[in-house]
Amino acid sequence: MDFTESFKMAAKTLAANKLRSSLTMLGIIIGNASVIAMVGLGEGAQQFINGQLQSLGPNVLFIIPGSRETRELGGLEVPRNLVVADAEAIATQVPSVKAVAPENSTQGVVSYRNRNTNSTIVGTTEDFLTVRSFEVEKGRFLTPLDQRRNSLVVVLGNQLAERLFEGEAALGKQVRIRGITFDVVGVLEQKGSSLGLNYDDSVMIPITTLASRIVGRTSPYGIEVSFISVSANSQESMDTAEFQITNLLRLRHGGDDFFINSQDTLLEIADTVTGALTLMLAAIASISLVVGGIGIMNIMLVSVRERTQEIGLRKAIGASQQDILVQFLIEAIILSALGGLIGTALGASSILVISVLSPFEAGVSTSAVLVAVGVSGGIGLFFGVVPARQAARLDPIVALRSA
Amino acid sequence: MPDLIRFQNLSKVYGSGNTEVKALWQVSMAIAPGEYCSIMGPSGSGKSTAMNMIGCLDRPSSGEYFFDGQDVGQLGEADLALIRNRKIGFVFQQFHLLPQLTALDNVSLPMVYAGISSAVRNERAAEALTQVGLGQRLHNRPNQLSGGQQQRVAIARAIVNQPLLILADEPTGALDTQTTKDVMAIFEQLNAEGITVVMVTHEPEVAQLTHRVIWFRDGQVLNDHMSPEDMRQTAFFT
Ligand SMILES: Nc1ncnc2c1ncn2[C@@H]1O[C@H](COP(=O)(O)OP(=O)(O)OP(=O)(O)O)[C@@H](O)[C@H]1O
Ligand SMILES: [Mg+2]
Repeated sequence: MDFTESFKMAAKTLAANKLRSSLTMLGIIIGNASVIAMVGLGEGAQQFINGQLQSLGPNVLFIIPGSRETRELGGLEVPRNLVVADAEAIATQVPSVKAVAPENSTQGVVSYRNRNTNSTIVGTTEDFLTVRSFEVEKGRFLTPLDQRRNSLVVVLGNQLAERLFEGEAALGKQVRIRGITFDVVGVLEQKGSSLGLNYDDSVMIPITTLASRIVGRTSPYGIEVSFISVSANSQESMDTAEFQITNLLRLRHGGDDFFINSQDTLLEIADTVTGALTLMLAAIASISLVVGGIGIMNIMLVSVRERTQEIGLRKAIGASQQDILVQFLIEAIILSALGGLIGTALGASSILVISVLSPFEAGVSTSAVLVAVGVSGGIGLFFGVVPARQAARLDPIVALRSA
Repeated sequence: MPDLIRFQNLSKVYGSGNTEVKALWQVSMAIAPGEYCSIMGPSGSGKSTAMNMIGCLDRPSSGEYFFDGQDVGQLGEADLALIRNRKIGFVFQQFHLLPQLTALDNVSLPMVYAGISSAVRNERAAEALTQVGLGQRLHNRPNQLSGGQQQRVAIARAIVNQPLLILADEPTGALDTQTTKDVMAIFEQLNAEGITVVMVTHEPEVAQLTHRVIWFRDGQVLNDHMSPEDMRQTAFFT
């Protein structure tokens, strides 16, 4: 008997018992749907994080305070802070560096007339534009003079300006930040969020002003910054820059109490984390696939027992053991592969919903679909073997007598 | 003409030790092509065991069984399946039709295993059903047919691969007197066309319609070639 006949026969048998067939498939359907959804979600998260990291720019290094030792001590020993003087030293003493932007920030209410909004108040320097590749939409950005004079000037993030001024021209107006009046000198171009920071919703003031008027002096070593971003002369000089900065800061601080990260190292770390996450999600979901396979085996075993007479009759009229084996195997494979397909469709549509409702660009990868359907078919084959062999080995005489 | 069926000192023993059952014990007999015979005997006398043996569903414990010149004891499982498919047609007391299939599909089933294309299958199945008088019920499922009609579907299924032999184990056991007559008429007709027919029956009236009666008792052939006319006096055997 050829394969198409076996296939038709198996399909007919399954169709004759639709309720049972669909219930049998349920486990595989759920297993596949969860695998597809989980892997899609993991990949979506990965893409999201990568996108965020890539928006940092390829030449940028981040210097953040903290050391391995203090981390391991559970943060008992407070690391020496990075200060504005560190940033100035890097700018003047490291030749492979183009621009250096120290940053510190705090939360606060920004108000214009009777409109208030909570916002991030970022203190930085003129190099911020270069390092983070921002453009000024209207007016100007902060200048070295602003830093020296602790000027009360502010550059507004695009969306914040929109919200606060509602179409009015912001330039030349005055806003209050934590009760202090600032002159609006510029508005930044819109850029979207990167690494969870959304400068579109922030206000930028001179870092010296932030220290002297808003957060106060918090470090004995100078004006504290939360991190320093540095842009190297070129992508090739990244390693040199990192080396030179490390040396300089070691000398200044007397130890390794800082980290230097580039977009690449951040990407690497993120890839490892999200990759592990995806793998873990897939592994958990795969368990339900295996459970689904066991469900198929279970129902098939019951089915063999129930269909003893049918099997005996088929043998009496000329079916060989192989014919019976193949028929039951195909039934198992149809159930699991079809379940796999339905589950995949289900998982894919749930991912579609997720990508609409969340910032994740969660996608269904063809590889995930192929693997899921292939694995389901394999599971059907694997778990179908035991019942199919039991059916094939039935003694037709005993089977026919079991009326 | 060589024998179609020949048992030589054939035994079939089930179990071992205390539970040993000699279902057939050193039986020798032969049936020629074209014969129309019945097997009778008390319950447990080995009739069904003999039928299973003849039908190549089973292999002897000892002795030889030749079917159509082949030593069945030497054949493998796949060869036996092939013989059952091409040369033998089975009819059972309980019909054993597949409930999810129509009459036509039930009759087609042996041809599926013979690798015949579906167009030819449908044509030949319809022919066979017409031959047993069910030309109008091709697309009915078994539960839409009477017992007699179901048994006729089963007979159509048995003849559709043009076998040498039809084996029927108590084919009229579940039928009333009238349908029994109809079914027996079909067997008679098939035999007249040259097919060998062997059936097991408990009913003397049924056996009487065949041309030869083989009597079994305790796994052995007690009497062969007893004329149907002598049947009434020997009814005590059953
Ligand atoms: N698979 C088996 N295992 C053990 N014993 C068996 C088996 N099949 C048949 N027997 C025994 O072999 C003997 C012959 O059984 P068989 O079915 O051939 O009798 P029968 O003549 O067909 O009886 P009935 O008229 O009741 O159908 C019986 O004693 C039966 O119990
Ligand atoms: Mg019997």
